[in-house]
Amino acid sequence: MDASHELAARRDVPSERAAEWLIALGALMVACGGLLLGVQVDANRGFSGTGFAAFALGAVVALVSTIVRARGTQGLPRDFPGAFGALAAFFGLAFATGGVFAPGGPWMLAEFAALLVLALRRPREGSRWIGSGALWLMVALFLFRLWITYQGSRNHWQVLSIPIPVLSWLPFDFLAPIQTIALGSFTPFELGLPPAGVDFPITLGLWSGGFALCAAGVFVVQLAVREHENDRVHDVIHTLPRPLAGLVERLLPEDEWEALGLHGQPTRLLCKRIEALVRERAQRQREFARAFERAQLLALRHNDDFSGAIQGALAELDATAAKPKDPSG
Amino acid sequence: MASAPKRPLVTRLVIVLASAVFVFALLVRGARPAELVRPENAPKEGPSIEQPMQLLARGAGLRVAELDRWIGKEQLPEWKAVRGNLFALEDCPSTMDWIEGAEGQRFERCVAALRTGTREEAFAALVLIFQLARATEWKPGLRGHTEHAERLGALLEGWLRDWSARSANDALLVGPSLSALLLYGRALRLAWRAPLVGYNAGPYERARTLLDEITGGSSHHSPFGEALAARHPRAALGLGSEADMLKGLEEECAVLYPKLVGDCEDG
Repeated sequence: MDASHELAARRDVPSERAAEWLIALGALMVACGGLLLGVQVDANRGFSGTGFAAFALGAVVALVSTIVRARGTQGLPRDFPGAFGALAAFFGLAFATGGVFAPGGPWMLAEFAALLVLALRRPREGSRWIGSGALWLMVALFLFRLWITYQGSRNHWQVLSIPIPVLSWLPFDFLAPIQTIALGSFTPFELGLPPAGVDFPITLGLWSGGFALCAAGVFVVQLAVREHENDRVHDVIHTLPRPLAGLVERLLPEDEWEALGLHGQPTRLLCKRIEALVRERAQRQREFARAFERAQLLALRHNDDFSGAIQGALAELDATAAKPKDPSG
Repeated sequence: MASAPKRPLVTRLVIVLASAVFVFALLVRGARPAELVRPENAPKEGPSIEQPMQLLARGAGLRVAELDRWIGKEQLPEWKAVRGNLFALEDCPSTMDWIEGAEGQRFERCVAALRTGTREEAFAALVLIFQLARATEWKPGLRGHTEHAERLGALLEGWLRDWSARSANDALLVGPSLSALLLYGRALRLAWRAPLVGYNAGPYERARTLLDEITGGSSHHSPFGEALAARHPRAALGLGSEADMLKGLEEECAVLYPKLVGDCEDG
């Protein structure tokens, strides 16, 4: 047994259980979403799978996105809930990405290339698995997939049929072949539609529900994993005597823990990292206090402009610093 | 040393359930669609009417007596009399004129009675309607008399309302019922386009209502609509046309029955 279990026993259990519960719930949402995205319903109400090709490409995009996101950090899931959450988030991204690809043909590869390019860019939002650009592209691709499936379900084997002005207005049957232009022709084989034809309304419901479940599940899992990692850091800090732990948490606020690289570290390295951070921040605090005392700000004039406002704020800090402090916070 | 905090039972159950669904979500992607076995290609069970489409074609008179054994005792005398009259009909009378006569009324009663009987009797009723279409004139002509085509359409419409849904998976009836639909499309399209200027909207709207009912929407076909799409894709595609939903039906009808245009040339 390592120290983390001992630590976990001492801390508040309800919050950890809430994170684990959320990870489990998010994973279940992702799994159900993946299931819905993986089936299609034919005209005889028979179910069939959507194939492995789109899912495999989605998994590649998810893998690339994961690697890009993890680049530069040494964090890894350190316990079962963390690992399960990471796996669920990966599958959620793979299911959702695979679910937006056109079912086959050259379109699928073009969409894969476009998403891969966007996945190679690290998202600005640190905790997000995918950037905003990629997210919007996924939504657009999903709508495109629904559209071509709709066209296929009506036996219209093209993306769009554009009527030619004037020619299309003439009521002569022999002109029919030249009255419209077909854009983006495809075949049922390319789309992987079942031989009996796809039942579009039911399939649309399944896929839309699946995509929404996957997206929401990934979001929930990310939040829960983050909360779970915060719980681990909290456990380590609270092995210290209570007043000391309070001071450390004031020096290292919880909302900075992920940015400070405290997530995903083994317990031993986590302790050393916290120790180094506390030393660095305490040192900075002391330097600031000394500089503050030397500045003798109270002797300066208080104006209503920007410098006056800053001086006033620092003067209030000086007044509060003069009062005795409760170390426990 | 303290033990690890125990997870609540519900959380553990949800994790197990999620894992199982993950595995299933992956496996289900490989599920292959069911093979499409058309009813007419399915293994036959018991005696049946061989090559039923021949009884709707020009040579129906050569085999129509074979249907006698499939007609119930109550209907048999009427059936024999009506088929005898209809298959002996000459001079190409107008459809309405013949139907409103004594033989025609007997024909209508017989068709109505057979339609509510067994599938073989329903098929016999359709054979009679097709023979009526061959032996009487229902082409509107230059003066635009559409009532004959509309009457023929009404007979086919009644039969299709009763049997189209049941015929989709019936080896005996699927082909004949699709033929009935194609002929219905042709008759009502002729009536719709009969006026020299403009269109006769009534038949077209009636056809739209019936077709929506029996084939389903454009992206949510009924089994009968799927049967149509599988065998006559151009006709099924045409049903979604805003300009002329009957054009595809007529084109397919022209392939199956090129001379069955309401002028007795196909007799």
